[in-house]
Amino acid sequence: MIGAFVYLAGRSTRNRLSRQLRRLRTPRYFVAILFGLLYLWAIVEQQGAARSGADSGSAAWVERIAALGVAGAVAWTWVFGSERRVLAFSPADVTFLFAGPVTRRGLVSYKIIRFQLTVLFNVLFWTVLFSREAFGVSPWLRAVSLWTLLTTLSLHRLGASFVRGGLQQHGGTGLRSGMLPLLVAGSGIAVLGWGLWNEAGGLTVALHEGNADAFLAVLTGALRRPPLQWLVTPFQLMVRPLTAPSVTAWAHAIGPAMGILALHFFWVIRSDAAFEEAALAHTLARAQLPEERRRTALTQSARRGLSPLMRLRPTGWPAGAIFWKSLISVLRVRPVRGLTFTGLTVGGAVALLSFSSGTSVAEVLGALALIWAVLMLLIGPQWIRNDLRDDLPNFDLLRSYPVRGRSLIAAEVAGSALVLTAIQLGLLAFAYLAFLGNGDIPLTLEERSLALLAAVVCLPPVNYLAMLIQNGGALLFPAWVRSGPERPGGVEALGQNMVLIVAHAGLLAALIAVPMAAASGIYLILRPVIGGWAEFAGAVAAIPVLVFEARMILGWLGGVLERTDPPAVAIGS
Amino acid sequence: MIEVEGLEKVYGDFTAVRGLSFRVAPGEVLGLVGPNGAGKTTTLRSLAGILRPTRGRITIAGFDLVSHPIEAKSRLAFVPDEPHLFEYLTVEEHLRFVGRLYQVADAEERIPGLLEEMELDGKRTALPGELSRGMKQKLLIACGLLHRPQVLLLDEPLTGLDPVGIRRMKATIVGRAEAGTAVLLSSHLLHLVEEVCSRLMIMNRGRSLALGSINDIRSARPDMAGRTLEEVFIGMVVADESGDR
Repeated sequence: MIGAFVYLAGRSTRNRLSRQLRRLRTPRYFVAILFGLLYLWAIVEQQGAARSGADSGSAAWVERIAALGVAGAVAWTWVFGSERRVLAFSPADVTFLFAGPVTRRGLVSYKIIRFQLTVLFNVLFWTVLFSREAFGVSPWLRAVSLWTLLTTLSLHRLGASFVRGGLQQHGGTGLRSGMLPLLVAGSGIAVLGWGLWNEAGGLTVALHEGNADAFLAVLTGALRRPPLQWLVTPFQLMVRPLTAPSVTAWAHAIGPAMGILALHFFWVIRSDAAFEEAALAHTLARAQLPEERRRTALTQSARRGLSPLMRLRPTGWPAGAIFWKSLISVLRVRPVRGLTFTGLTVGGAVALLSFSSGTSVAEVLGALALIWAVLMLLIGPQWIRNDLRDDLPNFDLLRSYPVRGRSLIAAEVAGSALVLTAIQLGLLAFAYLAFLGNGDIPLTLEERSLALLAAVVCLPPVNYLAMLIQNGGALLFPAWVRSGPERPGGVEALGQNMVLIVAHAGLLAALIAVPMAAASGIYLILRPVIGGWAEFAGAVAAIPVLVFEARMILGWLGGVLERTDPPAVAIGS
Repeated sequence: MIEVEGLEKVYGDFTAVRGLSFRVAPGEVLGLVGPNGAGKTTTLRSLAGILRPTRGRITIAGFDLVSHPIEAKSRLAFVPDEPHLFEYLTVEEHLRFVGRLYQVADAEERIPGLLEEMELDGKRTALPGELSRGMKQKLLIACGLLHRPQVLLLDEPLTGLDPVGIRRMKATIVGRAEAGTAVLLSSHLLHLVEEVCSRLMIMNRGRSLALGSINDIRSARPDMAGRTLEEVFIGMVVADESGDR
């Protein structure tokens, strides 16, 4: 049976790798992996020799902090559970294994083998990434240490899921069969509470003073004394090989870590928890729950109907139907009215607060809104996707409609650009209100009002260009578009993300450089004449340039869309 | 109404369709039959303007599909085999959406009749997620019929329909053809082809093995006289596979 599992896991991995290698024949994927590798190399190089020569004191300090982190992860597993992730099988697993002559222990073995693939990938990735890191003796030994730690953790999660699943399903019987692990976990939590109670004074003072160094000093000091020392010792044993400063220290540390791993293995493999039902439930939930929730929200929204403003007339710009559809997709799943009402209410409240003395709350909220409005320029186009990217699965239908490629893209992009602009303007308006009564900031109220007006004028075309870049990427590099359950992973995905982020930022900067130059020129010329209104005039001057650029890009992408066959556009092809 | 001359579609080093030529006149129903991978769907997608032909010429209602795509597409309707719909538009909204795309001025008046014809009148506000596969298929067909197309392209139109739905769909296809629409459909259901189609094209490996009425095809192969369509079809495909022809 194990042979079949190893065959399945091995073949799946081999085929996946070979598919990714075959993709390298296409220049765009080759560029992606090149960027990914360059990115990794840059990180490794950055570590350099500056960190070499770490002493055993700092190694011990890192060990204690890492042990605390591992303890936290373990506690999280017991308290909040990780069954949905750990116990879920793929639909194919359920079809072949649950219906096949596979014992419970066989299923556990299969799970362990599957986890090993993830563990091995992580070991490889992190070992390469931190190959120059000071702690640890050599990348090879660090790989062994990391494998030991990650395997132990994955086994622990599996075992904890069995116990929790047994308790949830079988109550008293489950309690009896999971008594020992539950006692261990309960004792751990009790010791943690006791230890923290003892150190509460020191930790509170450090927190109150806002002194992070003092807080860490108190915490690490507490970890060296009972009772917290008892708690972290097993976790220290698990992470010690990773931070061992010499080969000798590593040789001493790896034995206990392996011992803990062996204990976990026997705990899990000998576990007689009846987890199949829970596994099936989690498999189903994982596959269907998000979709069900989305469907329910959509259905409720559809029942309510559309506002008369959103009625679509049967004649007019044909691609207007695409724009309408894109907006509906957002209105159906986002509580726009509720958000608008909340925004207005909170906005009004912060506006009132801004007039009172001690306005730190309004200032902080206003500053946050301002930061988010600017950040949305970069990350918004990747978050908001009610455009061609979401419609790729319906590409056949779109292509069969009597609409030119450029019109189709123009309408698709208009939908997401409008949503992004609305969010940004909402945030800017919120920031404006939050600073409304604030006389301490360098800009006068008139200047702020004009800046907001300039944003109202400028943001739509800028966001349109940003969305065009994203949709152009989806059209030219369809396999990089994240859509559906299968998402690209590994170094290739890292490279893809790098390419997309760098390309997006670079292209957007290049596209807005000329309009910004035009706007600046107008501003400098008109400033002495019309004062603050020159800002607005500059923004208006930028619009024709932005529109011209958008038209050029639309024309080009429209041609690409009309020339591109759907199989090349389909996701993951 | 549909004119295809030397249609060829190549993906990389694989030729999905090679040298297809045929015509479908108004009021005629041409059935495409063939085993999986024969090139039926590629042919239909090329005719719908979804795929660009590598070689050859496609004319829809007198308009060249490559040089006048908008005019050609405005006169055709394509119903794919997989009923992909926009998950956030209701049944009625799908029809309004298509009405605007094809500029159907009387869309609002036509929608109730189409919904009734497709037995979807009780599902006007339902989203695709609430529909069965057959209902989705019917909605796609309703969308296709809204603008009174002169050419109707149907890829496996009966998939997912119940027996009553199949009967209604057959009646719809025949009715549209009688009203002057040129219909091209692909199907694995040979009895449908036999019942509904005036002519058929048997395809294999991207080529046309036979084109004509069932009687024409039978008479071209004296060894298959008196055989059923299924036997004729299997005989021709097997012979082609083994290189006898």
